[in-house]
Amino acid sequence: MSRLVPFICCMYGRVTWRGLPLLTPLPPGLPRVLAAGKKDLVDFPVLNEDELEEQFVRGSGPGGQATNKTSNCVVLKHIPTGIVVKCHQTRSVDINRKRARDIMREKLDVVYKGELSEVVLKKKEAELRKHEKRKKANDNLERKRQFKEALAADSTPGSDTV
Amino acid sequence: MWRTSLRAGCRGCRGFGPKGIWGSHAVRRCSAPAPAPAPAPALPAGRITARQAVDVWKRHFEERGVTEPDNSSHYIIAHLLGAKTIESLEHGKLTEFLSREKTEQMWQLCTRRLSRMPVQYVIEEWDFRDLTLKMRPPVFIPRPETEELVELMLTDLEMEPGAKVGADGQRTCLEVGCGSGAISLSLLNSMPQLKSIAVDQSQDAVDLTRENALRLGLQDRLQVYCIDVLKDAETVVSLCSPVSALVSNPPYLFSEDMTSLEPEIFRFEDHAALDGGKDGLKVIKQILTVAPQILTNHGRVYLEVDPRHPPLIRRWVEANVEEMHYVETRHDINGRPRFCILQKKKSNKDHRLDQD
Repeated sequence: MSRLVPFICCMYGRVTWRGLPLLTPLPPGLPRVLAAGKKDLVDFPVLNEDELEEQFVRGSGPGGQATNKTSNCVVLKHIPTGIVVKCHQTRSVDINRKRARDIMREKLDVVYKGELSEVVLKKKEAELRKHEKRKKANDNLERKRQFKEALAADSTPGSDTV
Repeated sequence: MWRTSLRAGCRGCRGFGPKGIWGSHAVRRCSAPAPAPAPAPALPAGRITARQAVDVWKRHFEERGVTEPDNSSHYIIAHLLGAKTIESLEHGKLTEFLSREKTEQMWQLCTRRLSRMPVQYVIEEWDFRDLTLKMRPPVFIPRPETEELVELMLTDLEMEPGAKVGADGQRTCLEVGCGSGAISLSLLNSMPQLKSIAVDQSQDAVDLTRENALRLGLQDRLQVYCIDVLKDAETVVSLCSPVSALVSNPPYLFSEDMTSLEPEIFRFEDHAALDGGKDGLKVIKQILTVAPQILTNHGRVYLEVDPRHPPLIRRWVEANVEEMHYVETRHDINGRPRFCILQKKKSNKDHRLDQD
């Protein structure tokens, strides 16, 4: 496992080590998965179109100008894993196809990387941030409380400060 | 042959909207009287939720044989509640009571759908790739296949960074038969360095394309003209300085297939945007004949066609348009041959100098 860790550090920009996020610079020359315009998807697995089966419900009929249907649900299946993604989030087939692929990459990421998958990492990071935020808020409250007490003590002349 | 069930003699001649769908270009002959409009369910006396309204209308569409009963009611309610799809509605919106106004609007819009008006005309908009476009009968509604045409054009155009044409280094593209402007506007939106000229024989289409261009802030890079490429090719040629790409989703249906079209199309969309003549190739042939005079050397033509066309087009071009080379056929998402790509061979002739 210890030999795997540096490998993983090289492949992906972010890794958690014992629950703490680590930012490791990627060595040059290693292939990175880039999804245009989406920073969050940088580290998701690449999709091989040959491994995908896509179905678009357009009803029977000739299609094209001869058909005007509003159904634009896209069903994407990843043959090796059997994962199926269905997307009809938008009114554009093209966008639904792209989103189906994004969702597929997310799901494959979980399957392939388990604990190290982006979804799990993000969750851990979010929890950590939440924890830090709560701590900061509590610290602030505590400081305010002490300040108020100090003020109260100063403003009553002659009273004994404790 | 593709036949969809169409009630015999069912050729409604109603007008919708201020101008009516027949407007100033009425070409249809009505041989049968309009069918009596199907009665709509009564407006509810009390308040109903969005969900209940959807269920009432879905049932009603089903009873009246209106196609896509669930999609229709879903898109209409979503639009009324400010969303594009029912899935993207805020959680709980569907179980909220509709205001009186919204209920009446729902009834009004769904009643239009009862007459088989396409949803896109009912809500007066639709999406094409990442754009939302205004829709208005009888201007042709963009089909999902055409999104792929834009996609493959963009891939091509982006792979040839060297092809600069204009003095300002910008590339120009010509669209024949722009309809609502979907193709041109989508290209312009995705390629900031592109300029486009769009023509259509329908003034309604020209107006709608201009309107959509304005709404999207793309009017500075798009010129739109009302020209019929069949009647007035010279004007098209003179308007376009050499363009690096010509794109079209021309009318490509076979005339004999027009009568079996579903009512949504037959009754509401401009037949001139659909009927490509006996073999569906009337407009396509004209485009390819004129293309060499408009394109730069190595400029390309991108066409959406009927699945039967690609081999016919290849043969015809080889025999009749010496300057054009058939590059390839691409398939659509349903696996049908749908897109033809052709390229202008390098020529030494400058067509503009021909004084015939």
